[in-house]
Amino acid sequence: MKRIYLLLIAFSLVITGCDFDEGFEEMNVDPTKASQLDVNNKFASVFLRTSGGRYENWRASLIYSSMIVQHMSSTATYWTGNFYTLNQGYSTSLFDRGYPEQVKEIEDIIYQLTEDGVTGTQMGIARIWRAFIYHRLTDLYGDIPYSEAGKGYIEGILKPAYDSQESIYMDMLAEIEAGLAQIGSGDALGASDLVFQGDLDKWRKFGNSLMLRLAMRLTKVDAATAQAWAVKAVNNGTMASNNDIAYIQHTLGPAGINKNGHGEVFSADGNPRMSKKFIEFLQNGNDPRLPILAARRSDGSTNPADLIGMPNGLTSGALEAAYGTTNEIYAEPNRAVLGGEDTPMVFQTYAEVEFLKAEAAKRGWISGDAATHYNNGVKAAMQMLSMLYTNAAAISDAQVNTYLAANPYVDADGMEMIHTQYWAATFLNEYEAFANWRRTGFPTLQPFGGEAVYAGNETNGQIPRRMIWPNSEESTNPDNYAAAVQRQGPNTLTTRVWWDRP
Amino acid sequence: MNQYIKHYLVSLVFLMGGLLFAQQTIQGLITDESGVPLPGATVVVEGTSDGTTTDFDGNFSISATDGQNLLISFVGYQTLTVAVGADANYSVSLQPDNELEEVVVTALGIERNAKAVGYSITQVGGEEVNEIKSTNAITALQGKIAGVQISGNAAGAKGSTRIIIRGNSSLNGNNMPLYVIDGIPIDNTNLGSAGVWGGADAGDGISALNPDEVQSVSVLKGGAAAALYGSRASNGVILITTKKGTGVEGIQVELTSSIQFDDIKNDPYDPQRRYGQGRDFSTTSDTADTYANWGIALNGSSVEQWDGVSRAYSDKGNNMEKFYNTGETYINTVAISSSSQTGNVRMSYSNLQNKDILPNSSLTRHSLGLNATQKVKNITADVNLKHITDDAIGAPRLSDSPGNANFGIRLFAPSIDVNDMLGEGGLGTNADGTEFRTSDNTFSQNPWFAAYQYFDNSVKSRFIASGSVRWDITDFLYVKYRYGIDRYDYDRTSGTPFGTAYQPLGSMNEQKLTRQQTDTDFFVGTDNLSFLDDFSVTAFVGMNRNNITAENVSASGSNFIVPFLYNVKNTENQGNGYSFSEREISSVYGSAEIGYKDAVYLSLTARNDWFSTLSLAGKSSPNDDLYTSASLSVILSDLLPLPEEISFAKLRAGYSQVAGGAGNPYRLNLTYSIVDQGHQGASLGRISNGSIPNSEITPFEKNETEIGLDLRLMDNKYSIDFTYYDNETDGDIVGVSASPTSGYGSALANLGVITNKGVELLINANVIDKEDFNLGLTFNYSNNESKIVSTNDAGGNISLDEPRSRNLRVTHIVGEQFGALFGTSYVRDNQGRIVHDIEADGTPIPQVGPRKILGFGVSPVSLGFGANARYKDFTFSFLVEGKSGGQMFSGTNALAKYFGAHKATIDAGGREDGFTVSGVDANGSTFTSTIAPARIEDYWRRTYQIAEESIYDADYLRLRQVSLGYNVPSEMLENTFITSARVSLIGRNLFLISNSIENVDPESGYNVSNSQGLEWFGLPVPRSVGLNVNLKF
Repeated sequence: MKRIYLLLIAFSLVITGCDFDEGFEEMNVDPTKASQLDVNNKFASVFLRTSGGRYENWRASLIYSSMIVQHMSSTATYWTGNFYTLNQGYSTSLFDRGYPEQVKEIEDIIYQLTEDGVTGTQMGIARIWRAFIYHRLTDLYGDIPYSEAGKGYIEGILKPAYDSQESIYMDMLAEIEAGLAQIGSGDALGASDLVFQGDLDKWRKFGNSLMLRLAMRLTKVDAATAQAWAVKAVNNGTMASNNDIAYIQHTLGPAGINKNGHGEVFSADGNPRMSKKFIEFLQNGNDPRLPILAARRSDGSTNPADLIGMPNGLTSGALEAAYGTTNEIYAEPNRAVLGGEDTPMVFQTYAEVEFLKAEAAKRGWISGDAATHYNNGVKAAMQMLSMLYTNAAAISDAQVNTYLAANPYVDADGMEMIHTQYWAATFLNEYEAFANWRRTGFPTLQPFGGEAVYAGNETNGQIPRRMIWPNSEESTNPDNYAAAVQRQGPNTLTTRVWWDRP
Repeated sequence: MNQYIKHYLVSLVFLMGGLLFAQQTIQGLITDESGVPLPGATVVVEGTSDGTTTDFDGNFSISATDGQNLLISFVGYQTLTVAVGADANYSVSLQPDNELEEVVVTALGIERNAKAVGYSITQVGGEEVNEIKSTNAITALQGKIAGVQISGNAAGAKGSTRIIIRGNSSLNGNNMPLYVIDGIPIDNTNLGSAGVWGGADAGDGISALNPDEVQSVSVLKGGAAAALYGSRASNGVILITTKKGTGVEGIQVELTSSIQFDDIKNDPYDPQRRYGQGRDFSTTSDTADTYANWGIALNGSSVEQWDGVSRAYSDKGNNMEKFYNTGETYINTVAISSSSQTGNVRMSYSNLQNKDILPNSSLTRHSLGLNATQKVKNITADVNLKHITDDAIGAPRLSDSPGNANFGIRLFAPSIDVNDMLGEGGLGTNADGTEFRTSDNTFSQNPWFAAYQYFDNSVKSRFIASGSVRWDITDFLYVKYRYGIDRYDYDRTSGTPFGTAYQPLGSMNEQKLTRQQTDTDFFVGTDNLSFLDDFSVTAFVGMNRNNITAENVSASGSNFIVPFLYNVKNTENQGNGYSFSEREISSVYGSAEIGYKDAVYLSLTARNDWFSTLSLAGKSSPNDDLYTSASLSVILSDLLPLPEEISFAKLRAGYSQVAGGAGNPYRLNLTYSIVDQGHQGASLGRISNGSIPNSEITPFEKNETEIGLDLRLMDNKYSIDFTYYDNETDGDIVGVSASPTSGYGSALANLGVITNKGVELLINANVIDKEDFNLGLTFNYSNNESKIVSTNDAGGNISLDEPRSRNLRVTHIVGEQFGALFGTSYVRDNQGRIVHDIEADGTPIPQVGPRKILGFGVSPVSLGFGANARYKDFTFSFLVEGKSGGQMFSGTNALAKYFGAHKATIDAGGREDGFTVSGVDANGSTFTSTIAPARIEDYWRRTYQIAEESIYDADYLRLRQVSLGYNVPSEMLENTFITSARVSLIGRNLFLISNSIENVDPESGYNVSNSQGLEWFGLPVPRSVGLNVNLKF
């Protein structure tokens, strides 16, 4: 028996002597991850994610926005923006990706900079970029989570409140102004400045240009505020040439995030065509951009005589019935120039800025001549193509002048001319094209491009005026969602956002 | 010749089993009637007080002299007297003295007298999985064990299985039981399954089990039974004992061969066959939209089709029958066993060849097994080795349409013939090898192309080994050390081929995964230590360390440079991935069973677990938990005078706690990683957590109470086993759902509370028991009621997966059952009438209403009814199995309606007369209007947005198994080398007796995750028939 007692005693000693969780704290540290990064390791990621993946560029940008503004058309019925039908997931795609990718990362950057007491260039750029991210979201969806968004870890907010678009706009404008004031001191972004490669002056011009864009968005809803900010932006110095364009140069890979999301769509999907509306605009003006932007689907011909725009809102059956044609004969975005996955993704161009200035001048808010700004805008819009797209033929000053001579600015039609040109210049910057069309109503678009009303449409035949919030917000953020519906109106494609007034 | 082979094999087996040692004292092995060792049997030298008990493996040693008798006894068995002769070794089989006194395998592999067990445990013999085999052996248990719910998915022969015991006890975590094979916990990780965007089932761990090797399966359902396994057993334990060489005289060779054929004859898909392809009630429009069943009535006229070829506009027949194969499965096993008084060996090799019903999808499995036991004096060594290689070709893609061959094949309009889709290049390709497109949607693949050109192949090489040494220090005290390892290497190559419509240049992925699980146990125990006269004690204490590591290396590429050369290095864009994880649970545990007069037994267990996944420097909350269990068994029939009709009555009661830790490591803090490969010289760094971390997470606890009654009536002719249980998981570690606008999908918190209560009933009746004719009937029933008590502090919902229509989510909602199907509904007025928008032309279109609870994806009720009959040398058995009370969201039906393939889209008078809809309009006025033929599709396309339209009850009854066998009489084998032969005809899934879902099999879910009740274009569930032959010599 003695042996047994000894054994039991020994065993209990072994047990009490054991540190049963020895090494567990070290084991539970992921050997492949870091606990924090240099903030400059984060900027490049948030820039690329703002440019976006194929997912939302396909859905919210091309399938909805590009169809709605009649840049493009398609007979495939899953190109729901062409038929005003609702595909929940397509419509919510920028919201679905924007928050977990763009917002989460920029809020993390700002939190880190705040914690580290950084008040210089890095913080300034981060604040301007945050405004850029949010302005796209609010323009597309209206009221959105803003002040509490992206703070799930930082502040433990799981159900962010929706802010009114009005308050978001006021804050974004103030943030841009504050951010601009911070640029110039402290550390810069280094290699992660994928937008301006460390040129702080360009960042300043972009900040002011973005301020101008946001300001002009408010012309209908609050002209005084619009004017004040527009004047401030112009006085501070906006983009002055095509060298100031805000864009990211994409590459052919290796990963999806390196590629241009639109380019990835063109690789995967042969259904989009140039719309009749857009091709006719280019043809009517004898626009030198036509053979650069469009090519015939069947054989790639860029001969303007071969380029036919596809009517909007028709299925292949309806197209055949109405026109006796198949979709192969129509023009598509010129793959040789625009279709690559290594093309730039444009955030804001100098041409847009000139058009906004033309409007501001026409309104008498800023000094200068609307026609001059208009002409500068048209010239920039034409000449930026060869700068942005390697395979685009350069458009000479002479060609520009010929075009402007044939299509001179007429002040009586000023708003229409300016914003139709704005529309043409924002091809493949579809979120902006959609927002600007909603604000200005130009170019004049007819539902379904004037074709027969698509019978299954969800908008009562009206052109959509926003994208819908995800249905999932009803269950994951019910109270705030309900308040937003209460404030903004039903979660449909036709509810107008705050700045969008009839 | 035979003798020669036998001698050769004997020497071979002895070489493997180890050397035999001569013994001084008497050694022996005591087994039950089937050769399973009996630990704790008493051996007494007659007329003396010298005695001992057998050890863990049934072995004993005792001093006795020639001429004395040994009295060998064990509870529930007839006492046997053995005369001691010149031999030093005795191998003794005891016969049961009463059918009641079974032995069951309990936690940690300890065999116990069933009557001492104070909790519900169900043991089934190996024949239940040996005879009617499947590529995933565990599915053979479906419908046989009350309280155990087994669900397959629509992934074909290589698919995984979901097994849930007594309901789901974790909201987000793993709900599957722990599998233990020969004492060693094995990994059952599902390596991938289809989700909202499609994907393939990459299989699970238990499917590697070779059905021919199974000796018995014990299911430890509740906490009291499983508590000794600790946190890993919070969902119950399935203990599998593989066959050993025990009980074999000399050498035995066993050959088993089975052939099975699978077909889709039972698939319930029954689309309309009156209207051909077209849109807007015409034949000519949208020729590329091959799924559109909205054309005019089939009329035989010549119409230009999707590929520009004109064909008769007529019913082209059943595309599913043209497309799917007859599946074939061959399983052949050879096993050689041998035993002696001091050891035994069994080695086996098994080969499985499966050709699935999906073209170009197959599985080859090789299994090698070696089980050996050797005893030297009072030391017993035991080794179990298994090596399994799974070679899987063409894992079927399910759910969303890209690459899913099952998608188009169901939806093509009747005027479309899948045999026209082979293409110039064959098997769904153009002459240049690219996809021969059959749909205008680039994301819907030609079914032939999906089956033959997509690739998803894997090889899994798995090694499961355990070894133990037991030292019997005295006749009642032993120490034991055991080490076990389950390790596999998994190589998967999958890709989208060059020339695929939506990805013209293709892409591929190479994955290499290694998972390893080791368990080290050390314990000290006593067997049947008697103190005082009426009391007995069996007790042990032990320590365990369980370590799991996983390492994953991947390389991917897109845009093949050389077309059709599927090598990652041949791609323009390459990426790579690496991940590693390690977690460990460290434990101390102890158990004591106190018996009183062989009529009352009290079992107590305690265990403390420490979790690495809950450890973090600076953490203030505990990373460990101590928990206990108690169970009581009272044999009423031994204590009380009961009526004669009651031959046996036992009352059981148990209470248990089990703690659990977080399933995954590294979730307590925020981490960052550098992702992808940078961009133009800049590195890309970002937060790696998708869920908000929480450093103060503690173990959750599951408490369970169970009571049960075990009754045998009329001389054991009838037996009834009833259990009621009630359990609650407290502080479950949940991902509290967060709005994605928070930047995260969820947040980690100890907030979940879920309860399950239910009943389990098992009734057996030996209706006829004659020498030539036996008939036994069996019935089992279980009903589990789950309730989500708490999700987060705000009582919000926890969202799980959603189907591709994205109008529904499996959601945990406070106060409701586990896994509500929460989706968009019809808008109804207060009389329940559906509210419609009325279009300008008068067409009513139903309004899309808010999300609400439309059903629950887990069926609460499971039942099985079966019979086993024997007449002379013939045997017959069948099993009917069913579930009820749950619902399913059927994506196949939703899209069949969207595309007009569903019969519900046609009124009795045909589409020519329009489609009549009644309801109320937005103003509440009732209407009945007939939608014009060309607008019917718009009605159904809108309806597609309403999840409620595609919710069905998931009730069914299925003839699960039938077997007709013939045991060749031994007289006929007398002059052959064969000692036993059996032939049987078998059938599985023979037909659905009832099915409350239209068009799809009720077991067509596309994954085995917690998001149950989602169906979206899976593989048909096949019917199988086959032949099984078993020979021993």
